Amino acid sequence: MSRADASLDRPYRVDGRRLRSERTKQLIIEAYLALAQENSPQVPTAAEIAHRAGYSVRSVFERFPDIHSLQVAATDYALVQVAALAPARDGDGDRETRIRTQVETRGQSCERWLRLWRSLIVNQGDSAELRQRVVLSRERVVARLEFMYAPELSTLADTERRHVLIVLEALTDVESWARMREFFGLSFEEACVAWRQAIDRLLPPTPSTPAVAVHATGQPA
Amino acid sequence: MIREALPSATAKPTRIDGRRVRSARTKQLIIEAYLSLLRERPKIPTAATIAERAGYSVRSVFERFPDLHDLRVAATDYALTQGTAQVTARDFSGDRLTRLKSHVETRSWICEQWLPLWRALNANQGDSAELKSRILLIRQAILKRVELIYEPELSTLDETERRQTLIAIESLIDFESWARMREYNGLSFAEACQVWIHAIDRLLPPTPVS
Repeated sequence: MSRADASLDRPYRVDGRRLRSERTKQLIIEAYLALAQENSPQVPTAAEIAHRAGYSVRSVFERFPDIHSLQVAATDYALVQVAALAPARDGDGDRETRIRTQVETRGQSCERWLRLWRSLIVNQGDSAELRQRVVLSRERVVARLEFMYAPELSTLADTERRHVLIVLEALTDVESWARMREFFGLSFEEACVAWRQAIDRLLPPTPSTPAVAVHATGQPA
Repeated sequence: MIREALPSATAKPTRIDGRRVRSARTKQLIIEAYLSLLRERPKIPTAATIAERAGYSVRSVFERFPDLHDLRVAATDYALTQGTAQVTARDFSGDRLTRLKSHVETRSWICEQWLPLWRALNANQGDSAELKSRILLIRQAILKRVELIYEPELSTLDETERRQTLIAIESLIDFESWARMREYNGLSFAEACQVWIHAIDRLLPPTPVS
């Protein structure tokens, strides 16, 4: 029997230490996110994070060399959550349905992630990693807009299409949502109505034959 | 004699307090140093760099401003005065396209010039009631300007629709929206202005025939 065959026969062993370490990492990230959300835009201290996660400060720095590494890991975790909690829906619906769905999904994301987003923007500083994640997040928003409004956007020339996307992205920015809620005092539903009305005015007419569906990644379906 | 009848105080020549004038000038130079540093680097300047740029000692800075927060507030007030002067100097009358162009050009110029301060203001507002009140003041001024310029079009809408249109325009012409067009999308000043002009034009209802 070859060595390779022997290793295949061995029962799969779970490395308990590794598993525990991953779990600790996860709990530290979750503690960071909870604190960042509560105290946004202040960055939580190592002591606060350790206390919230139920570990020692040493444990935190054993998993993350510095707070910046933890910030990056937490941002990645949050980005995965954002994507998971806001799947693309109704991409093949009529204009009204697509606008309604896109606005509701975006509104919910803004509502949920506003404080963390602010913390990220304020604390990105000179960090190339954090800046990259901000760009990634914006690209995802634009990709979703492209996907949801593919029929209307397909009727435009490249430059015009790009300009409409820029405007839609500005309109549906997290801070634009925050101003509707905090500065103008709109309810969730009222804020959605304001966005729906504006998007409807900004989009060109829907063509009678739907254009080729495009995935949120920008690839044809 | 009439001159004799006048109160003696009015007869005295107005004396300029040189020390006061110099102190005000120093304050002004410190504010300008703070603003120029913000424009050069998106980092909050330290007292030492501000002092060096202004050509004074750190002690001089803290003699005029007890702390950097006071300096931020003073710089914001200075910017508000400057911005208001830039906006009020423009003529916002005319047909729809003239008003759109005039509004967008002015707003873009302000975004271009004051974006670094706006970012610093937002980043440093923390729990400061003074900075928060200035942010609010700026937003209200932007909104008032939009209402004033597009009054003919907005007057055709009911209260709710008018408000929704104002909110959409305000979102669109935000400082960070301008910054993204310039920094992230790489648009030129003129291209970015065109994007805003087209978008506002689409958001507004038709102009009523007078």
